[in-house]
Amino acid sequence: MVAIRAARMPRPPRFGATPLMMQETAMPNPNSEILIDAVQLSYGSHHVLNGLSLNVAGGEVYALLGGNGAGKSTTLSALLGFVRADAGRVAVGGIDPARDPDGARRRIAYLPENVALYEHLSAVENADYLLALSGTPRARAAIVEALAAAGLQERAYDQRLAGFSKGMRQKVAIAVALLREVPVLLLDEPTSGLDPRATSDFNTLLHAVRDRGTAVLMVTHDLLSAADVADRIGFLEGGRIVEEVTAEGPARFDVRGLRDRFAGRALAA
Amino acid sequence: MSAVSLIARDELRLMRRNRVAVTAVVLLVILTLVAVVTSWTHQQGIAAARAQHQAHADHAFEAQPDRHPHRVVHYGHFIFRPLGPLAAFDPGVDAFTGNSMFLEGHRQNTANFGDVRQSSPLIRFGQLTPAFVLQAVAPLLLIFLGYGAVARETERGTLRPLMLQGASARAIVLGKLLALGSVALLIAVPAMIGFALIAGQAGAYAGPMATIVLAYAAYLALWVGIVTLVSMLVRRRRDALLALLAVWAVTVVLLPRVAPEIANRAYPLANRLQTDVAIARDLRRLGDSHNPDDPHFAEFKKATLARYGVTRVEDLPVNYKGLLALEGEALTSRLFDHYAARDFAAQAAQNALVGAIGLVSPAIALRQTSMAAAGTDFEGHRRFLEQAEAYRYDLIQRLNRLQAEAVTYADDTAEDAGADKRKRITADHWRKLPEFGFRAAGPDALVRASLPGLAVLSGWLVVIGAALVLATRRLGARR
Repeated sequence: MVAIRAARMPRPPRFGATPLMMQETAMPNPNSEILIDAVQLSYGSHHVLNGLSLNVAGGEVYALLGGNGAGKSTTLSALLGFVRADAGRVAVGGIDPARDPDGARRRIAYLPENVALYEHLSAVENADYLLALSGTPRARAAIVEALAAAGLQERAYDQRLAGFSKGMRQKVAIAVALLREVPVLLLDEPTSGLDPRATSDFNTLLHAVRDRGTAVLMVTHDLLSAADVADRIGFLEGGRIVEEVTAEGPARFDVRGLRDRFAGRALAA
Repeated sequence: MSAVSLIARDELRLMRRNRVAVTAVVLLVILTLVAVVTSWTHQQGIAAARAQHQAHADHAFEAQPDRHPHRVVHYGHFIFRPLGPLAAFDPGVDAFTGNSMFLEGHRQNTANFGDVRQSSPLIRFGQLTPAFVLQAVAPLLLIFLGYGAVARETERGTLRPLMLQGASARAIVLGKLLALGSVALLIAVPAMIGFALIAGQAGAYAGPMATIVLAYAAYLALWVGIVTLVSMLVRRRRDALLALLAVWAVTVVLLPRVAPEIANRAYPLANRLQTDVAIARDLRRLGDSHNPDDPHFAEFKKATLARYGVTRVEDLPVNYKGLLALEGEALTSRLFDHYAARDFAAQAAQNALVGAIGLVSPAIALRQTSMAAAGTDFEGHRRFLEQAEAYRYDLIQRLNRLQAEAVTYADDTAEDAGADKRKRITADHWRKLPEFGFRAAGPDALVRASLPGLAVLSGWLVVIGAALVLATRRLGARR
């Protein structure tokens, strides 16, 4: 496993043991690494976020589920500073991404659904370049260790990405995200296109990231994966969280119950 | 290493790993080197040939035997325009305007023997010079190497991840500009070698050379900016390439060739035949010195006799035929000057219009700057024509004065058996006549002449710079 050198974040208190606890909205927590409070955001006349509130503390994985067009990607764009909220508050580690996108982005590692890396560079060169850009250059040994931790095969380290599968690219991106050791990790459909083995490896890796105190916000359609790694699952509909569920006990979530309820919501949406 | 340097380094690494790009750069560098060497040797050859021809012409003129001065007037004299050292970099209009003139009495000839009339037809399509390579070919290479600089990141989705790694939009754009600028610098190196060759030559002024370096640096920087800007404004590489090729075709190929045609239609020049007919008509109006009833020359004769206080031309202390030749040459030269000034004015108007079109074509602005600083523009040619005419007029009038003062009227009008010998004066007189020495424009004048084009290029840089700043603010802000 990759060495973790970031300062450990204080672990959030574990949630209550009530199975499938429902709540209408998240309460704003000013100490959260990720804070979204009553955000309204429109593209022209199309209202995308409609009073969205959620917060994610360090050492917590929050899975955001929702149908197409529910506002999942826009939520990530707002956190990354690519779009500005019309009303409400967005903060990453206390920084407003719309006002100081560079400051906010320095605290974020982002794994998009379709990982875009440089075809003309090898896996190691990609990591080396992106880490140097982020101001956290790493020695080759550390990069190789991270790539191994992400599950990339050794023979692929120095191959150019032109021939890489989606899963292999994702592993490179994960390695970069891990090596940046930032307090916030945003994931957009991280297991999309991964085979079951790779998905399982990824989830294991995510547990390790959470354990070192990183706040993780994962946007996904993959309920099983979300149930495996998330501490809380929020269901986004019409630009706001309509239900939020907290993991409880060894079983964590009632996956069947979640599937039935969320599938019904997604169909209704 | 800063984000700008990292992005520039990666962009250069991408170019290095692209065999087509490397091959293209190497080919262009070789092409420029070949252009430098061939242009240099070509100009050296021209300079040597002109110097040799001038020496032969001077020798032939001085080797004339004892003869009547008016025969020397009609024997005439060839002069050749020497080229400045910077013509090796940019020969300008020299190949088209002609570089020699035949000077004779009663006529003001035009320059002859332009290279385009003597060489292969290929020279009409553009001589391979360092200036041509940098003006036309280098932008094309910058387009092919840089069209995808930002569009590639947008198209492949690497732009946002790049920004999320902490690279600001400004750093990304500056990095791309730095990389493409480095390529432009590499392209310019062979031309700088050419400049180093020129620098040691007599008459190679630092000011004009610095102006040329500045102008080409601005031009290449401008193309680096244009390529990057277009690459930022479109989402697909293919669109960027098409748009840039269109910009290149219009500004570098089309406008510089269409602009002179437009100028020619707006300010048409009379052709040689029209001018000759008009001059002949005006000459008839001026008067005929051989016609005793011609009012102008009758008046001239009357005034001359009065000035010397005699009643017959035979009693004048000077040869009246020489005085007539002096007066006739003065009259015809004024007429020639009038037509030359008319043509120069039309050509100046044409050049001004081409310069105005240069506002939308940096290639035209650069060409004008480059030729002006090299002294090979139309003004340089005009300078030669004016000095040649001044020399011709002085030479002919000196010979006419010799006729007036060294040949008596009696001998000049005699037709007896020995008269021809008595009309001759010694050959020493021709040898004492001054030789033609072309005075090229000084460094200050060359720099001054290149300032308008330089100002246009600077204006373009400001506009493109401002557009880059605006486009940078929008970079990555799309949904």
